[in-house]
Amino acid sequence: MIFSTLEHILTHISFSIVSIVITIHLITCLVDEIIKLYDSSEKGMIMTFFCITGLLVTRWIYSGHFPLSNLYESLIFLSWSLSLIHIVPYFKKNQNFLSAIIGPSAIFTQGFATSGLLTQIHESEILVPALQSEWLIMHVSMMILGYAALLCGSLLSVALLVIAVRKNRKFFFTSNHLLNLNGSFFFGEIEYMNERSNVLQNTSFFSPKNYYRSQFIQQLDYWSYRVISLGFIFLTIGILSGAVWANEAWGSYWSWDPKETWAFITWIVFAIYLHIRTNIKWKGINSAIVASIGFLIIWICYFGVNLLGIGLHSYGSFTLTSN
Amino acid sequence: MKILNISHRHSLILSKFQNHIIKNVFKFRTRNSCPYHFLIHASRSRKNGSTMTVSCKLKTSKNDINRKSMDKSLQTKIVVPELDGAPSLSEAAEEGGSGAPVKQPPLSSKKNGFGLLKGFPRRVLAVLSNLPLAIAEMFVVAALMALGTIIDQGEVPEHYFQKYPEDNPVLGFFTWRWVLTLGFDRMYSSPVFLGTLALLGASLMACTYTTQIPVLKVAKRWSFLHSAEAIRRQEYSDTLPRASVQDLGILLMGAGYEVFLKGPSLYAFRGLAGRFAPIGVHLALLLVMAGGTLSATGSYKGSVTVPQGLNFVIGDVLGPSGFLSTPSESFNTQVHVNRFYMDYYDSGEVAQFHSDLSLFDLNGKEVMRKTISVNDPLRYGGITIYQTDWSLSALQITKDDEGPFNLAMAPLKINGDKKLYGTFLPVGDADSPDVKGISMLARDLQSIVLYDQEGKFAGVRRPNSKLPIDIDGFKIVVVDAIGSTGLDLKTDPGVPIVYAGFGALMLTTCISFLSHSQIWALQDGTTVVIGGKTNRAKGEFPEEINRLLDQVPEIVESTSSTQSNNLSG
Repeated sequence: MIFSTLEHILTHISFSIVSIVITIHLITCLVDEIIKLYDSSEKGMIMTFFCITGLLVTRWIYSGHFPLSNLYESLIFLSWSLSLIHIVPYFKKNQNFLSAIIGPSAIFTQGFATSGLLTQIHESEILVPALQSEWLIMHVSMMILGYAALLCGSLLSVALLVIAVRKNRKFFFTSNHLLNLNGSFFFGEIEYMNERSNVLQNTSFFSPKNYYRSQFIQQLDYWSYRVISLGFIFLTIGILSGAVWANEAWGSYWSWDPKETWAFITWIVFAIYLHIRTNIKWKGINSAIVASIGFLIIWICYFGVNLLGIGLHSYGSFTLTSN
Repeated sequence: MKILNISHRHSLILSKFQNHIIKNVFKFRTRNSCPYHFLIHASRSRKNGSTMTVSCKLKTSKNDINRKSMDKSLQTKIVVPELDGAPSLSEAAEEGGSGAPVKQPPLSSKKNGFGLLKGFPRRVLAVLSNLPLAIAEMFVVAALMALGTIIDQGEVPEHYFQKYPEDNPVLGFFTWRWVLTLGFDRMYSSPVFLGTLALLGASLMACTYTTQIPVLKVAKRWSFLHSAEAIRRQEYSDTLPRASVQDLGILLMGAGYEVFLKGPSLYAFRGLAGRFAPIGVHLALLLVMAGGTLSATGSYKGSVTVPQGLNFVIGDVLGPSGFLSTPSESFNTQVHVNRFYMDYYDSGEVAQFHSDLSLFDLNGKEVMRKTISVNDPLRYGGITIYQTDWSLSALQITKDDEGPFNLAMAPLKINGDKKLYGTFLPVGDADSPDVKGISMLARDLQSIVLYDQEGKFAGVRRPNSKLPIDIDGFKIVVVDAIGSTGLDLKTDPGVPIVYAGFGALMLTTCISFLSHSQIWALQDGTTVVIGGKTNRAKGEFPEEINRLLDQVPEIVESTSSTQSNNLSG
């Protein structure tokens, strides 16, 4: 009883802190240079991290197994991973846009986990025989860490796309004469790209605002690449440890189960992303498009397959209840 | 004459191609590193200059051509023209600070093909190692797999006739004809899917052979840069007044760099493994593919449901999966199920299944005994036995202290883990047309629900409780519920290979995160010129170097002169 109360309190604290952090971010976006507020949002994320850690530990103690056996727990773990990525000092220097991405992601996952949609599965369940293995911690935690990092990285790419496309449209309206200098304007992808670089060449030298924009885009591109590379490592380890586990429990290391297949599709899509980046010509917009596709595919893999509740991975399946 | 012709054509292609690369490099730089636009102009003119030297084989005496490229143009005169393009090309890409892409397919596809292979195989290699093709293959594999999860797999043709009717096609064109002709009803063993996978494997091999290994050779060839200009052209460059290159070398060593010092020049690198690791990733993937193929063609599989107390011969259960499957000695082993039981949680749900198995060889000698459970299989002589399923086979009861009788149980509902078994004890004349009796139902081995002749609920009894129940005047005792264990058996010669591939893949993927950083420095009087580049961590690299350079001690005027004397002497 005391555990469930504690859990309840921790859930609410972490949720409210994340909301406050997001509000602070919005304020700092609108009003520049409020360092004090910015500092407090940093502290807020650290608080959230510890709250969710406490939540997971509580669940671990009273259920007696690692809290990753159903969707609710994995969602909590996802928001924990998101805040972990934020905490890791390696990324601290670039907290600005990373926390702008992570904050809302954390609030959505946390919000969805605690919302009424999933009330049925809040209770921690007993562990079915197939899940009773040391591989559970390794496989599921690696998968969800991978998902969290890949989600962050691909969201950065989505942000890049949004900014790049908006900028283009602005150019289209404001600096038509520049475009005319370069000949006709095509909407096809490649021509579009060429035009863009030409326009940048022409404008960036005398317009500091565009210069900062392109710097920002470059930063987004670079950090989404680094975060996705990190997530790709986790995903690889997660899939492979899952395969080894499956060979112990189900009798085959690969059985084309829908969840397995979609995890593999996710892996392939991000492998495509990493390969596209080796070609300089395709860096930036093209790789960002692939990463955005990857973003959708992670959600299909993580949620869509569970929604159908098919295959061997049906532990995490759920039914949406409206009451 | 013929040879001349070919070389001429090649150099033409090369020059065109090089122009292409350089254009790209240039575009990239201007787009991304606007603050250094002076630098860009400089590098642009150099690029054009060096293009000229290669394509026309004319040495234009530009004053900013470094010694290295001069060496190279000397080389071009000596070496056969077919080969000369390769090193200079890769250098152009390298020095252009293009981020030294690990793979640049067009570059490589032309490169290695010249010397080693001729004609058709070379063309195939060039096509296969093409990056867009490889990416397209990956997309197709992903799409086919996604389709495989959407279309129900392994059903009878009638199912597809119903689901994808011809008169109402999905998306306007997709009917059962598509599904059955292309083999999408068994996607993951369909020729289309396996063919694409094989093509991807071939691309992997071709790319590793023609692109990655040459890049490796270039990367291994570390070198000093002897001109300040060349150093300043790097992605990152800085100048330190009143500093010594030795101090810098010690600091770099402290930061984990391999440092080489020769006179006034310094070369340092770190994370070279990060450049090699992608090759390892590809090789590991090939290993996994090879292992998977062996698994698919050379394994045996089978499953069996055995009531407690009975036995079976392994060879009878297993069936071959492919043409490489060969039976082994241990197929003659007999398996005896000593006991099958379940663990329960307090709430009554199943916690674990256990089967106590004994293995006997041909002479009837027990060679192994183990209690297996889910996640804890038995391995013997290349055969693995898994606990995967269970069912109820019989109910042992006594009626009015007669017996015990074994009543066979029949499955009434099998829906995943929610099973229901039933049996029936006839009462009175068993030959009469409307025979009545006592029904018994069970969901698991824990409790049996009994119903009387009218079908009314009579009570619940636990096996082993010895507690009799009176139904219609009969005293019935449920002595035991006999379960049967569902076992999966397999032999898989591919597993060791696949596991080796898994291990290698995990390791090399992690190493691939490392960034290969290179730093050059040159003592120029009392100042040190520093340049560097890295292939992955481009964001952190300048910060890290700046932090390092801040620590380089400043040399006071009097000592600096002796320092420089030492260096020159």
